[in-house]
Amino acid sequence: MERDLSVGTAWLVVLAVIAKSDEPIHGYEIGRRLSDEAPTGLSFKQGTLYPMLRAMESEGLVRSSLTPSTEGPARKCYVLTAEGRRVLAAWVNTWRCASRWLNRIIGGSHATE
Amino acid sequence: MQPSDPENRHAVISAYLAQLSAELADCDAALRHDALIDAEVHLRAAVQAGASPQRAIDDFGSPEEVARAFREVEGAPPVPVTTGTVPATADAPATCHSAAPHSTGAAGADARGPARPRGFAALPIVGVWARPTAWGALLYFGIVGFALAMAYFVWSITIGSIAFGLLPTLLGLPLFVALLGSARALCLFEGRVVESLLGVRMPRRTQPMEVANDIGFWQRIWCWLRDTRSWLSLAYLIGNFPVSVAAFAATVTLVAFGTSLLITPVVSLLGYPMMTFEIGNAPLSMAAGIAVLTATLWFVTALGWVYGHVVQAIQVARPEPIRRHKTPPFNPTPSLQPNEGTVHAAHH
Repeated sequence: MERDLSVGTAWLVVLAVIAKSDEPIHGYEIGRRLSDEAPTGLSFKQGTLYPMLRAMESEGLVRSSLTPSTEGPARKCYVLTAEGRRVLAAWVNTWRCASRWLNRIIGGSHATE
Repeated sequence: MQPSDPENRHAVISAYLAQLSAELADCDAALRHDALIDAEVHLRAAVQAGASPQRAIDDFGSPEEVARAFREVEGAPPVPVTTGTVPATADAPATCHSAAPHSTGAAGADARGPARPRGFAALPIVGVWARPTAWGALLYFGIVGFALAMAYFVWSITIGSIAFGLLPTLLGLPLFVALLGSARALCLFEGRVVESLLGVRMPRRTQPMEVANDIGFWQRIWCWLRDTRSWLSLAYLIGNFPVSVAAFAATVTLVAFGTSLLITPVVSLLGYPMMTFEIGNAPLSMAAGIAVLTATLWFVTALGWVYGHVVQAIQVARPEPIRRHKTPPFNPTPSLQPNEGTVHAAHH
């Protein structure tokens, strides 16, 4: 059954995608990378990305700038701020702890399903 | 007509945008504006990258899904960023994250407008004393707005007069175009000030004017000249001045009058008798002063709401973009059928 990617984890993965990019990255590219790497059975609607990016910008996690495009209107490109990197590192650490704990709890046959 | 046809691609994207706009019809105009620009830029980028319009829309999400995401994320308290907790879903804040102040402006402008008053601020009439929007509006109409309006007016009239005077020469037209450009920029700046002080959300970016990527310099100039937002911005900068003068005069008069009624008994008791004041009238005078100041706060709050939405309306005005290809008439209520080259809402 196809399920939406949780809004919560989406914040984490979006920050991670921006952090991995060597240069400012625009919304379409972030969405494309997320869709390409989404596992089977897990859908990610790229349109849900933009309100998240705006909220992240309001919180000071990312900073945007308009970049001229040769393929149409200028695109808004994003980079992580220092606060964004700090928050991402904290969330990644928490996520790994939670993941290990969850794997121990569900363990056995459920872990491989 | 094939989906690869530029005209049909534009029609499919326009139909999708119309549906998304309808889904966000009850939301703030600035939020709807932002959502439509994000969708348009994304879908055009996807199509330019080789995806079919239908595939681009499927990946982007149905209008219902995208509208829901904007409502949930922009209308709800944001995920806290000061803790080490993994962000939780926006619709389950009580169990997953603590409340955090919204930071989209000092007055709390968000997708649903200013934050709903709580505590003392929620009280009728006197609650206005505890509302940030009221104090922001007082600051705006008492100082900031008046000073800015004067500067905008002087700039617009001076440059406009020089440009009109130089129209017979080659310098007049570029100067006038520069004035229109500066009017757009100043109006955007005014929007930021208004959002901060009056609490009315402004769009985060403006509508792109060009869809074709190979328009020339003169076409861009023509695009600016026929863009409604340019003229509305210029009209605002000029027309705002007399309104700001009146608002400034009314605000300062009311504040001075209310304050004088409030402090006259105190000044009188300190040994500086006022000519028209009798000490027996002290309670009445102070009550009248508080009433006048309360009315003033309501007055500037209401005026701020009107001002904010005028500026917002200018900034969400959609220009008619320049395209290389003639497009079919836009149908604001398209019939979305799951056929080739048309949009169907993807329900998952």
